[in-house]
Amino acid sequence: MTKRFASDCEGFARRDFIKLGAAGLFGLSLPQLLELEARAQDAPGGRQTTRRASSVIMVWLSGGPATIDMWDIRPDAPDGIRGEFRQMQTRAGGVQICEHLPRMAQIMDRCTIVRSLAHTIPSHGPATVFMTTGNKPTPALQYPALGSLATRLLPAARGVPPYVSFSELRNGAAGQAGYLGTGFNPFIVEGAGAPAGRGQLAANLRVRGITLPTGFTLQQLENRDRLLQAFDRGFEATDRQTDLVDGLDAFHRQALEILRSDRTRHAFNLDAESASLRARYGNNPFGQGALASRRLIEAGVRFVTISLGGWDTHGQNFTALRTRLLPQLDQTLSALISDLDGRGMLDETIVYCAGEFGRTPRINQNAGRDHWARSMAVVLAGGGFRKGYAHGTTDSQGMAPATEPCTPDDIASTIFSNLGLDPHHELTTPTGRPVQLFREGRVVQRLVA
Amino acid sequence: MSRRSRLRITLSLIALFLTAATSHAGVDLPGGKHLDKVDFERHIMGLFGRMGCNSGSCHGSFQGKGGFRLSLFGYEPSKDYISVTRDNLGRRVNPVDPERSLLLLKASGQVEHGGGMRFSRDSWQYRVFLDWIKNGALWHAGTGTVKKITLSPPELAFKKAGESGQVQVSATFADGVEADITPFADFRTNDDAVAEVSNQGVVKSLRAGSTAVIVSYRGNVLPVRILVPMELPAGFAYPSVPESNFIDREVFARLCLLNMVPSDLSSDEEFLRRVSIDTIAQLPSPDEVRAFLVDKSPDKRAKKIDELLAHPLHAALWATKLCDITGNDTASLENPAQTKAKRSQMWHDWFRKRLAENLPYDEIVHGVLCATSREGKSPEDWIEDVKKIDAAAVKGFAGEYADRGTLDLYWRRQQNQTVEQWGERTAAAFMGVRLECAQCHKHPFDRWTQEEYRSYANIFSSVTLGASPDAKKLIDAENVDRKKNAPKNNNQLAIVKEVFLGPPAKGLKHPDTGLPLNPKALGGPDIPHEKGKDTREALFQWLRGPDNSFFARSFVNRIWGHYLAVGLVHPVDDFSLANPASNDKLLDALAKAFVDEKFDIRHMERLILNSRTYQLSSRTNDTNKFDKNNYAHSYIRPMMAEAVVDVLNSALSVSEKWGNDVKQDSKAGEVGASQFQNPAMTYAFRIFGRPPRTTACDCERAMEPALPQKLYLMTDPGLIGKLNAPEGRLQQLLKANKSDDETLDELFLATLTRLPTANDRKTFADYRRTVADRRAAFTDTLWALINTREFILNH
Repeated sequence: MTKRFASDCEGFARRDFIKLGAAGLFGLSLPQLLELEARAQDAPGGRQTTRRASSVIMVWLSGGPATIDMWDIRPDAPDGIRGEFRQMQTRAGGVQICEHLPRMAQIMDRCTIVRSLAHTIPSHGPATVFMTTGNKPTPALQYPALGSLATRLLPAARGVPPYVSFSELRNGAAGQAGYLGTGFNPFIVEGAGAPAGRGQLAANLRVRGITLPTGFTLQQLENRDRLLQAFDRGFEATDRQTDLVDGLDAFHRQALEILRSDRTRHAFNLDAESASLRARYGNNPFGQGALASRRLIEAGVRFVTISLGGWDTHGQNFTALRTRLLPQLDQTLSALISDLDGRGMLDETIVYCAGEFGRTPRINQNAGRDHWARSMAVVLAGGGFRKGYAHGTTDSQGMAPATEPCTPDDIASTIFSNLGLDPHHELTTPTGRPVQLFREGRVVQRLVA
Repeated sequence: MSRRSRLRITLSLIALFLTAATSHAGVDLPGGKHLDKVDFERHIMGLFGRMGCNSGSCHGSFQGKGGFRLSLFGYEPSKDYISVTRDNLGRRVNPVDPERSLLLLKASGQVEHGGGMRFSRDSWQYRVFLDWIKNGALWHAGTGTVKKITLSPPELAFKKAGESGQVQVSATFADGVEADITPFADFRTNDDAVAEVSNQGVVKSLRAGSTAVIVSYRGNVLPVRILVPMELPAGFAYPSVPESNFIDREVFARLCLLNMVPSDLSSDEEFLRRVSIDTIAQLPSPDEVRAFLVDKSPDKRAKKIDELLAHPLHAALWATKLCDITGNDTASLENPAQTKAKRSQMWHDWFRKRLAENLPYDEIVHGVLCATSREGKSPEDWIEDVKKIDAAAVKGFAGEYADRGTLDLYWRRQQNQTVEQWGERTAAAFMGVRLECAQCHKHPFDRWTQEEYRSYANIFSSVTLGASPDAKKLIDAENVDRKKNAPKNNNQLAIVKEVFLGPPAKGLKHPDTGLPLNPKALGGPDIPHEKGKDTREALFQWLRGPDNSFFARSFVNRIWGHYLAVGLVHPVDDFSLANPASNDKLLDALAKAFVDEKFDIRHMERLILNSRTYQLSSRTNDTNKFDKNNYAHSYIRPMMAEAVVDVLNSALSVSEKWGNDVKQDSKAGEVGASQFQNPAMTYAFRIFGRPPRTTACDCERAMEPALPQKLYLMTDPGLIGKLNAPEGRLQQLLKANKSDDETLDELFLATLTRLPTANDRKTFADYRRTVADRRAAFTDTLWALINTREFILNH
């Protein structure tokens, strides 16, 4: 009793960390997974956290969306701040959003908008890190992305990667595993950013490194593997006991298992979906990526990031939003949420739509809005979040939260709490420093259903 | 104050007086000891520390836990005393009915406690707390201030695994009292496979090997070295093993104590593969292997070592390591974005040139640590240099940056670095000391205090990035010019800035008193800011001087760690009280040799590579199979990410295309940038653990295997493409009209640096019969070879 407590209170010992790191990923054996899961349930504070969700789809709006023109319209704001768009009533009584998000308005009764989110970093790189890690960036420590933390702390299904990203956030500067080590980095989908080749969409989607390249058959893999096992036999005699060789061996077996399993490949086979559903998601890489995300979650993936760029609207903000960005987001996000809902998956899956910051309430001379982190809105749906609810308000000019202010740390904490994990759970960095998941974060109870 | 609470306090005081007067006796401790008088600082706080109550995840966290807050690791007795006796309406300590004290009810699990039950009602800890409360819950400030702790015995050398021994800990307090505090100390083992330790300091040896048990008591940390020898069969005579130099003498002396016999000398093939990977991150070509095998000269290994150390890629490899150590983080360099990777390359080139010339290590460090932009040049001359360097960064990869005396890029970061960061970075890079804990509190397992941390950081408070008064006019004019000639809306302009010594900034203050802190070397002398003097210069002189025990030791340890896979201090940048060297005598001897030879890096490498220790086989014997840190055999280890890429390319005989940010056909070990535009290589580097170089920690370079690595080797389209590249080894061989046997030999030599065994030949022959197409059979074979552990590991 005392002993178990000690390891809970102090977090994982460094040695445990290394072992887990080496086992890595979908490398954990079933008993290890169960133990980890049990531990997560047992952790101090874990008792308060009931698991409401098991996976997350993060819809990342890269560049910083003008949420003041999307989720938090200020019709009464003075000239120079008030945007061009009107608001419209949604199916969530009393909650209004932008007129150019009509499909989202139709499903707002399944979503939560957080309007009082704010931080202090109006620069793309560090703001992306802050929003996607739930920790304010510091040069002393690279915090892991939410997806990496989920991978580290939640049991994973066999034969699929636990954390998949459809793009490299900030060219790989965000979305990574940080102090958790490279084993918890996302698997990157290739072919996702390719320009929309009609009909060919998603035909090229593959997760780098987990599917065989074209022309490399499974039979060939088995043959080659036999050959390699025979060549490696001599080396086995050299080292009979190192963890390293054992680890590589385990990875080898898992790699084969993944390559033999076609779960991931199947998830990318969007032809299995009806043409009408594919069209509902949108015939573009973002839409088809969202559909693939749903299929990945079905296959057992824990955390998927899809991303839509172009939100850095320093100029012609309203034109860009009206003609391009909002229609695309409206179509895909609403399709994703209602599709998940229709399949009974929404209760278990958190959809989180955010960007690195909002944009200045004041409109600049190029009809654009600039970086603004002091107020922004995000949308959450499913996985234990409240339905049809708008949380917090901004002041009359949309400059800063007026009520219920919250931070990226709080949102991350709430998401993790819904995943059944204690936001203050402690991990140990490779230097032996204990670090809480989200030290500054607190669970926003009012967001939880 | 309400009447009620006043009444309560009065009652309490009476009760206190009564209980104090009647109590007696003290507490019986484990191990038959008796404690006459429980002292708040010595015992109560000792227990808070040992039981983890005041750790960061429990009551030591900044918010406390459950409304109860203790100072982190117990450095503030006054606050803790108030928390325990006053807060929560004083219910934590109940002098009227001591057993009803919340502290005891919670800790013993009688009342729900978020932290669970820490001790039972019949435990000695319970009695310690109870006795203290009964006796009035008193605090005498300063009683627990420790002058030193002493361990007895200071080292435990067992005869064999399975034996146990007791470590006694005594503390000498500031008031001169010396007391046994074993039950109040914390014990932890650095290797639980070799020895375990109970919370009463009983060490049990489990398996042959060496490790340390770390004892800490109220912030004082000391290691106990543990040695557990192998049990030898009766009549076993320890063989005599030839020694090449003092390294072998020290290593083998230790092994003899452990009854571990060093492995045999490596075979020529094993040696050649290992030394090529370690020194130049390449595999030897089949011809080179053959030539080495037939060479009968007795000094052929020494000659090969000299040849490799003089190889241009050898300097590149260490330049890469020094880029890691000094934090060559491409993203942090100055705009414009398209020149960042090239500036990173200049950083790498600067080191490479010096390493190729074998400049002494201290001189190289001087060029980094004491860098300025102008290096005494006139502003006019310097601006001309800047223009040339900027132009070179735009154009190509040649440039004169490497000819500069100092590496001002180290101090030029796009985002301002605080003095704290400079302190942490320089300490990690040049002393192998991790300071970051001490930013917020005394380091829990090392000597460093917040005061020392801040005084050290203040050394760097005069380093400025901007324009010095002398050069301001010219710099401003140049920047105006650049802005004028730049395209509109360009926020990526290369702005001229200068690293110079300005008037020192305010600097960090004392954590308690708030008074200014004078700059001070870490554990060294005061280094005051004086006009016209560079504090970094004084720091450098102290670093390389005879009074500094870190400078030479940390670098020889890095060299040793690179070649032997495990540092004498490991991790190599974690010199701390809690992480003693596995072999002090060897580390001292290496450091002495380094200083005696005037910091000659190549001399050290030659010593290490020519030692028998380095050249041992990785094949273990029955006596040394458990060894992990005494160098009884060569350790099988993963390769650096750069080496993985280069070794694959050299095995397949292909070169790398890098895109615009890196010079075409560069070897991975020659690349300076930590970020560049080439998704395939970025991916390979990342999964094999190349560090982003954003933090000052060696741990950024991941050296553990991970699943994506295995998948990469099996499936990466780029890599699979290289197997079949027309100019690559396989296609060339297939064209060359060689027999199957000859072709197989070449492939084995190119990948595993050895000829196929009889079994390998048979495996291939059997396989060949099942595959009709010759080319397919050999492609499969090459794929299989690069997917073996023998290939991807260095051994």
